[in-house]
Amino acid sequence: MDRMTGHAVLLLLGCYVLQVAVTDAHLAYVQGGFRPFLLVAALVLIAVALLGLLRAWRLRRAAAPDEQSGDGNGHDHDHDHGHGAPRVAWLLVAPAAVLALVAPPALGSFTVARQTAPIELPGGVADTLGPDDPGQDFRTLPLVQYGWRALSDDVSPLVDRRIRLTGFVTPREGGGWYVSRIAISCCAADAVGITVVVDGEQGDLAPDQWVEVIGTWAPPVTHPSGGFPEAVIAPVSVQLIDPPADTYQG
Amino acid sequence: MSSAPPTPAPGIPDVAPRRRGPRSGDVLLVILLAIAVLHFLRPAVFDQPAVQAWSTVFVAVCLQALPFLVFGVLLSAAISTFVPASFFARVLPSSPAAAVPVAGLAGAVLPGCECASVPVAGSLVRRGVTPAAALAFLLSAPAINPVVLVATAVAFPGEPEMVLARFLASVLVALVMGWLWASFGRPAWLRVREGHVAAPGESRSESFRAAVQHDLLHAGGFLVVGGLTAATLNTVVPRAWLDAVADSPVLSVLVLAALAVVLAVCSEADAFVAASLVGFSPTARLVFLVVGPAVDVKLIALQAGTFGPRFAARFAPVTLVVAVLAAVGVGAVLL
Repeated sequence: MDRMTGHAVLLLLGCYVLQVAVTDAHLAYVQGGFRPFLLVAALVLIAVALLGLLRAWRLRRAAAPDEQSGDGNGHDHDHDHGHGAPRVAWLLVAPAAVLALVAPPALGSFTVARQTAPIELPGGVADTLGPDDPGQDFRTLPLVQYGWRALSDDVSPLVDRRIRLTGFVTPREGGGWYVSRIAISCCAADAVGITVVVDGEQGDLAPDQWVEVIGTWAPPVTHPSGGFPEAVIAPVSVQLIDPPADTYQG
Repeated sequence: MSSAPPTPAPGIPDVAPRRRGPRSGDVLLVILLAIAVLHFLRPAVFDQPAVQAWSTVFVAVCLQALPFLVFGVLLSAAISTFVPASFFARVLPSSPAAAVPVAGLAGAVLPGCECASVPVAGSLVRRGVTPAAALAFLLSAPAINPVVLVATAVAFPGEPEMVLARFLASVLVALVMGWLWASFGRPAWLRVREGHVAAPGESRSESFRAAVQHDLLHAGGFLVVGGLTAATLNTVVPRAWLDAVADSPVLSVLVLAALAVVLAVCSEADAFVAASLVGFSPTARLVFLVVGPAVDVKLIALQAGTFGPRFAARFAPVTLVVAVLAAVGVGAVLL
C-alpha cells in the first residue's frame, strides 16, 4: 500500500467511525458513554489523513510534476520516506465495508438463543417492590430485576402485583416464548441474553419484534436444555412497541 | 512484513495487491466500487441473522479497541519523536534483571487496555529499552493500571480480594515473563519493525504525524485480524458449552483461560464479563482476568505485527501457561 492510499484508507475509516459516533448507530456496538472516545479517535484518524494529504499536495506542487507523482508508481518508493504500509493495512477497509454493507443492527434473538446465562441471584433478602408507575395499575421492572425477584425464595412482593416488562421476542423450545433483552458490559462482544418466559402462545409475534408485556408472577420453569430455572410471567396484555434508541440493558 | 496474506472479509472482493501488481490507489478504487455495487444489490445473505450478529460483534470489537489503539499510537509516537533514548537509559537500571521489576510496576501508570500497550512497548524497544523490561511493561500495563483495578472492584462488589489477587497475579506474570526473556530470549526471535524514519530536514510535527500514521496502519490492520477472529468464535461457540463445564475445577480453569484468549475482551471490561460467568469458581474467574490482558487473539495479532510472527509464536503460548499457573497459585492462597 503506498502512502497516498494509506491516507485514503485512514480517511475512509475515520469518516465511518465519525458517522457511527455522531448518530445513535454506536449504541448497537458499544455503551453510550463510549461516544466521546469514538469521536476523538475518529477526529485523530481524519486529522492524520488530511494533514498527510495536505503535505503530499504541497510536496507535489514544490517538485517537478513528473518526478513526484505522490501516489507512488508501483515500485513503492516515496521520495521523502522509506516505505509504505504493509498489506495487512488493507484490512482497515473491512470495518468500514461491513458498516456500509451490512449496517449490522443491535444484537437480538439470534444471540439470545445462543448466549443466555442463568440469572444470578443477588445475596440478601428481596426488598419491597415499590409503588405502581404513576397513574398506572402496574409496576415497570427491568427484565433482570424481575428475573431474580421471580426466582428468589421469597416472591411475596410480586404476588398480586401487575408487572410491566419490555423487550424483544425470542422463540422458546418447550412452550411459551421469551421477552428478552441483551446486556452488554462494554461492547457487543460480551453480550449476554436476559430472558423471561411468557406463558402463552407466541402466535404471529415475529422474533425480534419489540413488545410490552403486562402480567403477573407465575412459578418458574426449567430451561429445556440448560436445566436452570427460568422466570415466568403470565401475560394479561401484550402490546407491540417501537424499539428504544439504546436496546441494551445493564 | 511478510506475514500471512490478509484474509478478505465477507463482502470484500479478494483483490490483495501483489508486489509489482496494480497500483494500490487503483485497488482501493476497485474495492470502493465493489462496496458501492454490493450496497445497492444488497444480497439476501446480508440479512441472515448469523451474518448480522457476526457483523455486529466484529464492528463492536473494532470500535471498542480503536480509541485505545489511537491513544497508544499517539503515546508511542510521542515517545519516538520527543523523548530522547538517553532518558530511558537514565531511569532504568542497566541490568535487565533489575530493569524488569521497575518497568513492570511502571505499567501501573498507563491508563489503557492491551491495544494501547503494544505500540508503546514497541517504541520502548526501538528507543533502546532492554526487551525484557519492555515486555514486562507490555504485560503489566493493561492489567494493573488504576482504571482496570477500579473496574474490577466495581464488578466484584464486596470482594476486594479479587482486585488484590488480580494485581498480584498479573504483576507476577509480567515479572516472570520479563525474567524468562532476560534469561532465555534470543534477539533473533524479536524483530521489532522499523518505525517511521525521519527524513533529513523533516519538521518534528511532520515526524510525529508520519509516525502516528505508520503505527495506525500497521497495528490497525492487526487489530482487525483480532476482531475477525473474536467475532467468528463469539458467533460460533454457544454459551451452553461453557456452562456445561463450570462444575469441574480443572476444566473450568482451562475453559475460562481459552475463553479469555478467544473473546479478546478489552481489559477494562473483562471484569464485568468475569462477574457474569455465574457458576464458575473464583479461581477460574481470576484465570480469566489474568489471561485476558496478557494473551488474546487480538493481542497475538498486534504482537505479531509489532515484534514479528516468530516472537508471537513463542511468547504467547509461554505467557498463557505462566498466566494460568500464576492465577491458580494466587487464587489458591487468596480466594
